[in-house]
Amino acid sequence: MPPKVCLITRNLTSLHKAWTQVLRHLGIDYTICVATSGSANATIQTPQGAFAATSADLQGYFRQFDAVILCDHAVTLSATAVINYSVYWLSWNAPEDPPFLLFNPHFSTAITESAYNSNFPSDFPIVRPNPSNLGGTLYAADGGSPSSGTPLWANYFEARGACVQFVTENIRAHVMTVCNAHGVNPFSNVVPYFWRLNTTQHNTLSNTPYTHRVARNGRAGEILAVPAPPTNPEDTETYGADCVVAYRYKNIFWLPHTLASMPFTISFWNFHRSDTLAPMLFWLLYGLQVAGVRPRYKLPVQIETDHPIESTDNTPPFDFTLKQQMEVLLAKFDYMRDFARRRNTAIINGVRVGGKTRLPTARHFHWVMMYGTNVPADARAVAQQVNEILVAGHKEGTLPCGIHDHSIGTGAGYWTMNVHANFRRHSGMRYGTPNNIPIARGRCCVAPHVLPAGVAPPDALTVRIGDTELVEWDHTMSGTGDTFNLPMGNIHAARVIIESEIEEMLALGFPDGYCAGHKYTNTAGNNSGGECYWQALKEFGFRGVRSGSACNVPLSIKRTTPNRLWHGFHLLTDRGFDLAAPDVVYARGLYYPGSPADGDAVRFWRLDHGNDISTNWSTDSTAAWRAYRRTVCQFIGHWLYTTVALLGAFYFHPINGAMIVSLSDPNARFDGWSIPNAILQPHYNHAVELLENMDAVVRLLPDVLYWGTITDVMDHRERVMG
Amino acid sequence: MTIEYSRDDQRTKETVSPSNPLPVRDMGRFVDMLLIATTNLFPTGERDLLGLTNPDLPTLDGCGQYRKLIWFYFRERSSTTSYTIQARATDHNGAPLATGWLTIASGTLPGASDPNASYWGRLEIPATGDAYYDQYRIVVNRTGDPGYQLISKIVGVR
Repeated sequence: MPPKVCLITRNLTSLHKAWTQVLRHLGIDYTICVATSGSANATIQTPQGAFAATSADLQGYFRQFDAVILCDHAVTLSATAVINYSVYWLSWNAPEDPPFLLFNPHFSTAITESAYNSNFPSDFPIVRPNPSNLGGTLYAADGGSPSSGTPLWANYFEARGACVQFVTENIRAHVMTVCNAHGVNPFSNVVPYFWRLNTTQHNTLSNTPYTHRVARNGRAGEILAVPAPPTNPEDTETYGADCVVAYRYKNIFWLPHTLASMPFTISFWNFHRSDTLAPMLFWLLYGLQVAGVRPRYKLPVQIETDHPIESTDNTPPFDFTLKQQMEVLLAKFDYMRDFARRRNTAIINGVRVGGKTRLPTARHFHWVMMYGTNVPADARAVAQQVNEILVAGHKEGTLPCGIHDHSIGTGAGYWTMNVHANFRRHSGMRYGTPNNIPIARGRCCVAPHVLPAGVAPPDALTVRIGDTELVEWDHTMSGTGDTFNLPMGNIHAARVIIESEIEEMLALGFPDGYCAGHKYTNTAGNNSGGECYWQALKEFGFRGVRSGSACNVPLSIKRTTPNRLWHGFHLLTDRGFDLAAPDVVYARGLYYPGSPADGDAVRFWRLDHGNDISTNWSTDSTAAWRAYRRTVCQFIGHWLYTTVALLGAFYFHPINGAMIVSLSDPNARFDGWSIPNAILQPHYNHAVELLENMDAVVRLLPDVLYWGTITDVMDHRERVMG
Repeated sequence: MTIEYSRDDQRTKETVSPSNPLPVRDMGRFVDMLLIATTNLFPTGERDLLGLTNPDLPTLDGCGQYRKLIWFYFRERSSTTSYTIQARATDHNGAPLATGWLTIASGTLPGASDPNASYWGRLEIPATGDAYYDQYRIVVNRTGDPGYQLISKIVGVR
């Protein structure tokens, strides 16, 4: 039987598109039913008719599903009716009844509807939140400070962190976790909360035999997840023994928040807006797994780096030499290669080409760091070791490398200017010096089937772009030299640029420029350039590239196709996660008091809720752990969203965080102030933390996720998008 | 709701919703790109969009499948320019039925009032009714100053 779930919502216009998008990507069929209100008197409109929420007809209807999911959630604990109609379902616990998944459910004592209160199970083991007694009924989470808005709306920024202990799986994982949230104003200064367990009720339930396919322990009650205890005494953020973040009551799953209901989240066009990003998807995936909903497909998890070898300027006290920077990169790529071997994944790397031909003295280019005479010999020697690891990783499939060219246009990649002045091309091959090649579309371009006989000259070229074919003549030609002004918006420019990039990859020792069998690369600036570049990339053998929706910024006259599959060519949505903004050049730390704006993770990702990191950084060691927890939760959220909702490509820049690792133990896991970095701040290695923390999530969700490759992602896109 | 429909000679059931509509097959494009050209109008004198001055040479041939042509253009300047659109039919071998052309439209190419202003334009060929001519010759002639480049795109509508 194919997996099938029922989604219940009160308002289709605010149903987050990720609900259906994720289910489609997992191959789970779904039916959406609409509740006529949030009251216990609501009618549930199903494809087979409208049923009262308490009716046996509805109970029978639900029994065809593998799970019933309530999509609406609490926003403020003082609300009186959100999903009151679901109270009857808490007692539908027979083996034939499906599991019910409730995320951030509203069950507070503010609900006055007698039908709700009288039908709420008397043996329910989680204390109902009381907005007038928050401290007595809930645990304030993640330091207890308020978010500037509401943590439920946290999308691109402002994660609330939790390291969660999954009891049965015995795995610790960092996932954004908000069980309920409350503030006087529901949309500003809202505090996240975890739940309190009624331990007496739980003890009874956990000793009561219960037969249902979702009862792994054969008991009516099961604690699924709790806040994980600290691993270092520096971290003093602890919770009582009765604190719980996920619970199974019979066949009812009480889970933290997952997808926010917002009016514009349903729109396909808005789907790529950063403010519709849903970083708390973990709990949906976890809920599906523990409810026994077996997806048709697992989703491949993979990651990419941009610029595996580059150097950057840095300022005191981060005075890393070029050699030290290369040594950090060497450690990171040695670790990543080993991780990819162990987990059978392939970490894609966009090699910053262009240094060989166009910018031979720019030290942030791969070629220049290896061979530039303006780079000290000791740094060049280490850079060449990194390159050896990359070439070996490319050949064995663990670190596939592809072209990534910041030397063209404005420096942001394909077709980022109308005309690249004084463009320098490579030599040899088909489009290199001294060949006289077309560098702009012909003055005349006519479709062959309407081309009059005798009009086109003998040297006319036939050009195909997508499903359009044109015969072109009267081209602007390059001449035989290596430097000319190159109009960028045409296929001839795309061909000469791409060939020059591949030529450099070959010169670097790589057998190809498209990540070996994956036939993929990540484009510089996420600018894939438009149809001419996609066509040219196809001609050079590429199957797909990473691409922003606006795919030639800052020229900004293009958008990729909405479904991002152009004539079989994949345009994978980009989602990057570095610790600091690009314009500050490098990250100063998880947090660093002297950092410029957006110069550390806490500032860039707006994680300083209520200033509970910045004011305590030097006096309370917990602040470092708080910064770590929130940072990890934020990137796990982004990465999961990219993986399961966008079927996209998640990436980071290894050099961005190079200056904050310990030089004596660069690949150590974060351990607060116990492992200092070069400026005696907490050591943090972004590559290690990304992979190790996501590995915990992948191990937690074996029915849903697996470590895969970009080929698996593109294969799956063809499966569910084609 | 659940809908049953035929797919590859099989009856298939799908649960559809506003966000999960029935799949549709792309039945092909109804518009073809036929021409992209930059016409040098710094010189004066009649020439077609491809720059040809031979009056018997068509600009586009084999257009019998198109109900209409749409001519999009961008003028770098709006200097007074005349245009003439000629058309004719061919026999089954593609030879014109006779020499010469039927002029189906002519006039002043629309542009801004300021001759130094740039201008986007669009003309339907023919302006009303259907075409289905086999050959077209699209001629322009700048009569005002200054000279400029005329950039054109023509698509055929089936």
